Amino acid sequence: MIFRRALMLSVLAIGLVAAMPHAVRAADDLEGAKTFIGNLANRAIASMTTKGLTDSERTQNFRKLFIGSVDLPVIGKFVLGRHWRAATPEQQQEFLGLFEDMLVLTWSARFKDAADTVTFQVTDAKSDVDQGIVVESRILREKQEPVSVLWRLRANDGSFRVIDLIVEGTSMLFEYREEYASVINQNGGKVEGLLVAMRKKVAQLQQQHPAGQAN
Amino acid sequence: MAMSFPSRPIGILASTALALSLLAGCATPPPAGDAEAAAEFRQTNDPFEPANREIFEFNEKLDKLAFKPVAEAYRDYVPEYARDRVHDVIDNWRAPLRFCNDVAQGDVDRAVETFIRFTFNTGFGIGGLFDLASAGGVPNHQTDTGATFAVWGINEGPYLVLPILGPSNPRDLAGMAIDYEFDPVDFRLGQFPGYRWVSETRAALSGLDKREGAIDALNEIDRTALDLYSSIRSLYRQHREAEIHHQPSLDKLPSPGFSSAPAAGPEISQETH
Repeated sequence: MIFRRALMLSVLAIGLVAAMPHAVRAADDLEGAKTFIGNLANRAIASMTTKGLTDSERTQNFRKLFIGSVDLPVIGKFVLGRHWRAATPEQQQEFLGLFEDMLVLTWSARFKDAADTVTFQVTDAKSDVDQGIVVESRILREKQEPVSVLWRLRANDGSFRVIDLIVEGTSMLFEYREEYASVINQNGGKVEGLLVAMRKKVAQLQQQHPAGQAN
Repeated sequence: MAMSFPSRPIGILASTALALSLLAGCATPPPAGDAEAAAEFRQTNDPFEPANREIFEFNEKLDKLAFKPVAEAYRDYVPEYARDRVHDVIDNWRAPLRFCNDVAQGDVDRAVETFIRFTFNTGFGIGGLFDLASAGGVPNHQTDTGATFAVWGINEGPYLVLPILGPSNPRDLAGMAIDYEFDPVDFRLGQFPGYRWVSETRAALSGLDKREGAIDALNEIDRTALDLYSSIRSLYRQHREAEIHHQPSLDKLPSPGFSSAPAAGPEISQETH
């Protein structure tokens, strides 16, 4: 029995030692994640407010930044959920393309509107389940309560990708998932119904921002 | 497949549910075999969706015809300074009700905050015209009797869209009725006959202030949503949950649970070296 306990303890000890480098790396990751988000938010605002560019060039710059910082395939699959597997490969590809257009057209305008009136502040970062990281930030507005924005990130060897934005407690990931599932249900459970609605909405949004097209 | 029935009194909810379903018909639950569809149905928590959508459409029409134009006119023609004073006064005189709920929720810190804010703003802020407490570092918060019920462990019940009042649920509807009947300020005013108009003006200005404050956010949601109804439903329910549990704390966030999702694919698997 004593032998067995000793064995157990040594296994535990080896486990702890093995976990050490990981713990150290996690602290680095948290700092890295905060820097990543600080830079991302500033570059997103800058991309929409740089002088001497056309609206079209600005949206293109925003799109480049967006594609490099957001894990679109992961988000897209989660948002489509069970309908992802029901969709044909062509539908999946079209969905991801339209979803990218939707997000770029939606969020470029929001960053542009925010640019003049708010201050962005990264406040904290914590480890999350699934080896993810959540970065806490605040948007400070004149005379109004600050807005809490959490960024859920996926870390991979020191590089980061955004997988969710949680504004005042509302997760955009869950919101899109519920909304898109509802559109599919309204169209008899057909993914095609969602794609039709998305094509129409993307065309509408492009009318307001003529540059929202994928290259 | 429920293992046990909830012990809370659900009779009222059940009869409300029955009445509504008789009136307008229920959403069709997914077939029994489809576990994922069933999970989605429970998650959405909207068994009265067809009736709710009808009322939502009605509210939207009414908003476009009346509430939104009035709120826009209020924004265009009343100077911002005056609107801020209206907002601060309205908010200040909600504090006694907020204080009762802070206490009922056993939240001493927030009760003290509310008490300090109210005495300070009512005195130095001239009846609440100026919210000096926020500038002085005592933050404001929102709460109500529906939130108190939630803290006491009462479930929200199914999602409801109320005529004119908008997104709600049986728990928050009951809370709203209590807030309306027992607001301490209205209660005191009620003891002076002839001052009923003060309560009514207060209620009207409060609605105007809320709608004006939501103009930009609602326009933006409307601009980008594929389905405004389900978009608002998700935003409302998530936001309400966060408000009740005092803001999004990292520990309470729902996890998307990518690691267990079969559809996630290989590109999100984590390198361990």
